[in-house]
Amino acid sequence: MARALLLRSASSALTLLLVTLIVFLLLHLLPGDPFSEDELVGPRRLTRAQVAEIRALYHLDEPVHRQYLLWLQDLLRGDLGASFQDRRTVASKIAERLPVTVTLNALALALMVGLSVPLGTLAAWRPGSGLDRAAGAGTYALYALPVFWAALLLQIVFSARLGWLPLLGLASDRAAELGALERLADRAAHLVLPTVCLAYPGLAYLSRFVRSSLLEGTSGEFERAGRARGLTALGVLVRHGFRLASVPLLTLAGFLLRHLVAGSVLVEWTFAIPGLGLLFVEAVLARDVPVVMGLTLVSSVATLAGTFLADVLYAAADPRVRHA
Amino acid sequence: MRRFRGNLQAGAGLVGLLAIAAGAAPYLASDIAWVSRGPGGVRFPILGSADLRRVAGAEEQPVLRAPIPYGPDLTDLDAILTAPSGRHWLGTDGLGRDVASRVLHGGRVSLTVGLAATAVALLLGLPLGAVAGYAGGAVDAAVSRLVEAVLCIPVLLLALALLTASPPALRGLPDTLLLASVIGLASWAPVARYLRGEFLRLRQSEMALLARASGAGPLRVIVRHLLPSALPPVIVAAAFGVAAAILLEAALSFLGLGVRPPTPSWGGMLTEARHHVDRAWWLALFPGAALFLAVLGCNMLGEGLRDLLDPRQRRR
Repeated sequence: MARALLLRSASSALTLLLVTLIVFLLLHLLPGDPFSEDELVGPRRLTRAQVAEIRALYHLDEPVHRQYLLWLQDLLRGDLGASFQDRRTVASKIAERLPVTVTLNALALALMVGLSVPLGTLAAWRPGSGLDRAAGAGTYALYALPVFWAALLLQIVFSARLGWLPLLGLASDRAAELGALERLADRAAHLVLPTVCLAYPGLAYLSRFVRSSLLEGTSGEFERAGRARGLTALGVLVRHGFRLASVPLLTLAGFLLRHLVAGSVLVEWTFAIPGLGLLFVEAVLARDVPVVMGLTLVSSVATLAGTFLADVLYAAADPRVRHA
Repeated sequence: MRRFRGNLQAGAGLVGLLAIAAGAAPYLASDIAWVSRGPGGVRFPILGSADLRRVAGAEEQPVLRAPIPYGPDLTDLDAILTAPSGRHWLGTDGLGRDVASRVLHGGRVSLTVGLAATAVALLLGLPLGAVAGYAGGAVDAAVSRLVEAVLCIPVLLLALALLTASPPALRGLPDTLLLASVIGLASWAPVARYLRGEFLRLRQSEMALLARASGAGPLRVIVRHLLPSALPPVIVAAAFGVAAAILLEAALSFLGLGVRPPTPSWGGMLTEARHHVDRAWWLALFPGAALFLAVLGCNMLGEGLRDLLDPRQRRR
């Protein structure tokens, strides 16, 4: 087990290095170099010396391989570089936006689990029944529902038409005047629609997972073993089914990490929520290379870590995997 | 698996219908008449070249108009943000353009990008995966590492980063081709990984052994003997790939980084709809519904093809 873990870590580290190289190369094939002399000397009225100074600041005067090594060196010190837009460090920009995105994703995850476990259980209770088929078809359609369209429709219905929930942002304009409790309610109201939008695409995947693990746990040898010990059908479901279903649920820890940034991009953009996803789009629109690079890297690392974590948890929870 | 028995028919029907609608959009939704009568007798302006059609259209009396008698870019300042009606079936947008016409024409962009992007992804993923799986050893190790690394980078972020960088080779391409290349470049890795696995299995097969024994070189073995048996699952993956590519194109256009206005695209129309959330629900509903149906159709087609071609992967 320890040996396998070590091997797995080493291979992840190698993949990580390759990811940094890909991300670096990707953004250094830059044609629209925002600090080229064409961009700055003419339109922005800077002198050549000033341009050279800026280029030196971002290591743009070095050959490409040196730039990569310098960037990697900084990376090891946790330094992701500075934004082209306001010279603030990328790390501080990410740190500032992280809590919003994490909160949103944690809420979405809670909603996802809260809905998919009962849904999957109901579907698995009588496989092939009308309820099972309806749940399957419904979550299947949700899976194909484009998140930005759903977000727009929800905005139209619940914000514009009914006026129940706020349209955009994280807080009302008058939030500063509110008391603590009211401010919390205001924040919660702002989070409802984004949370729903983040949660529903995973519903199909997750409830199907719950359903098939429950089915596996309540049929075949599990069922026979359970019944032999005098368990009722419900007992088998609880004792074997949920035990098996807990395995894919654990991998959700990985799922959350994998989708943290990428999953939030469209939702945060639509609802104007200042999280990592919005930061990414803003950086792309402004051609802010260090921020795009930093965020791509961070979310790739999160993906890698998420997969790694999921594998380890999976092995810990399922003896069949552990001893394989 | 009774639940999805109708998938193939439903998916193929949906995708076929959308493809026909998109293909015929210039005829179905156009301000140029189908049949007109003028000094020179009865003519069919819609079949003529663009210049001729406009000149002819001015002095001739239209006899038969297109079912949606508005071009996608035809603005009407007297009909801004009008709700769906007999005149404009799906309403009009902020510039008085007909939404139905734009949805139809937008489908051309979506389907073209979806197909072309999948072609790019296959063109990159198939050879890489096949060679890695067949050759094994160092080649396989190198390709597998690369694939693994690329798979770590979320597709949406990778596509956005590619658009930010827009490598020299991609600059100057028309929007649709640029988007197709970017989306293809962002999504070849799963294809390569899948094909590598298949070829790893196939190269040990008797089929490969016999081909090699009869003197066939590696390229011939790969292309003539092994690729055909790896193809059915690839076709399945391609159907899902088209769905994902259409969705990604719409997402990029929605973020304002895809097809540039005034060219109609479903994602771009949804961005415009954002400005009118409080007064024009039809701007959001119809382009999104078209997108939803296209994605759903391709996914169902994929599921149906999987049940048909690849019984091993059939779900419980």
